[in-house]
Amino acid sequence: MRLAARGWDAVQTIAQRVRVAREFRPRRTRLERFGAIVQLTVPRALVFVDRAFARASLDVGDEPAVWQGAEPALGDHVLSAPLEAHLQLTNRCTAGCQGCYTGASPEGAPHEYGLVEWARAIDRLADAGVFHVALGGGESAVLPWLGELADHARRRGIIPNLTTSGLDGLDRLVGIADRFGQINVSLDGLHATYAAVRGFDGFAQADAAIRRLRAVKREIGINVVVTRHNFGELDGIFAYAAERRLSEVELLRFKPSGRGARAYLDLRCSDAQHRAFLPTILAAARRHQVRVKVDCSYTPMLAHHRPDRALLAELAVYGCTGGDFLVGAKPGGQLTACSFAAPPPAVDGVRPKVDELAAYWTAPGAFGAFRTWRAAREPCASCEYHTLCRGGCKVVSSHVTGELDAPDPECPRVVDHAPRVHRLPVVV
Amino acid sequence: MRGRARGKILAIKWGMNPNSSSLGVDVTFLLVGATALAMVTPIVGALLRWRKALPVEPTTAAPTEGSE
Repeated sequence: MRLAARGWDAVQTIAQRVRVAREFRPRRTRLERFGAIVQLTVPRALVFVDRAFARASLDVGDEPAVWQGAEPALGDHVLSAPLEAHLQLTNRCTAGCQGCYTGASPEGAPHEYGLVEWARAIDRLADAGVFHVALGGGESAVLPWLGELADHARRRGIIPNLTTSGLDGLDRLVGIADRFGQINVSLDGLHATYAAVRGFDGFAQADAAIRRLRAVKREIGINVVVTRHNFGELDGIFAYAAERRLSEVELLRFKPSGRGARAYLDLRCSDAQHRAFLPTILAAARRHQVRVKVDCSYTPMLAHHRPDRALLAELAVYGCTGGDFLVGAKPGGQLTACSFAAPPPAVDGVRPKVDELAAYWTAPGAFGAFRTWRAAREPCASCEYHTLCRGGCKVVSSHVTGELDAPDPECPRVVDHAPRVHRLPVVV
Repeated sequence: MRGRARGKILAIKWGMNPNSSSLGVDVTFLLVGATALAMVTPIVGALLRWRKALPVEPTTAAPTEGSE
């Protein structure tokens, strides 16, 4: 019965994707030094190919200028533009979650961009060759022009995706859900665990939002910030996703950013939980037959289990790719390497806005430590996964050690490498 | 990811990332390992090769210098 339901979901999903792609053709190709990136609608994927493959499958004409010189490997150079941009459309939100990484408030941030400014930003991102935007907040669903912006992104060949708490703006969002590629609802636990993680009981409301969105759209998933309080409940969360026939569970590591900086010590996972993370989530995904995604900051916890390095590379599993595969933008348009990071160092006295991405992208020193990960110290320097992991999450490193470029202090390899401090009992 | 003469697929990033705070990657393939991916990759390659050659869409972006 479940298999039949999944098959029907798949057929309808493909039909919907094809219909939308005909109406709004997404960007399909982008040349890179190593070759090209090709976007597929069915199956949904970004495919990285070398120059020979690109010559055989794309209409490249004469040798493109970007291919002058020796052919590098994927990852040897910063991409010509991000794959995706994470736009924090507003910092307005009434939920008041204790761990909110943006410190969102009902008032929002000063000088927030409006529709005109965000549409201009989308234009510049499309010109640069960005494939996807992930829209978030605050709570972006409360913005009356959200659907208009999503349409604008589609018209420019960018696929808009969305994260929502499901706690506000739902009526409007249900009406425009078909404009997004994928919508995920933040759900950090079931029932009482939701309250333990977020600081208030919003489970019933989030669950109701998931059911309403799923009734009108198949590509609905959940984002789960994994904390020490909900780690033991991950299997139940996957069961919940299967029961609601959701398309994916995306697991996010807790970051000490915004109000999350104050809640970090209480909510972050323990070292034992980090070491158990990969087998725990794969077992849950297998048991409940739900797709699982993890965020970039979890790469050290994957590498801990010594998976086939080539397989990770083929799945494009990277650690910190801020200022390379992705960029972020604050509500006032300030460009960042990722959503958790502060705006990057000024170049010529100017901190860039997202509209100025193309000019800033190639500036010397752009994105600071986010692009200097090759100059790693131990134990990253000798780690066979370092060119994928890139030193782990810089936001965690910066909060714990005060240095953006320090090895991720929650990486099991870094924990094992740290000098042991043997505390002797105090004898009075 | 094989096939030297006709070029090769270097990596496939599956799905979309709706999460506006970090880059999500589908690790479901870790359940089934490299063998399953090795079966799927030629199908993706065939999808790309067998259709009409796609035009290269222009961008304003320029590759960065150096090896950072």
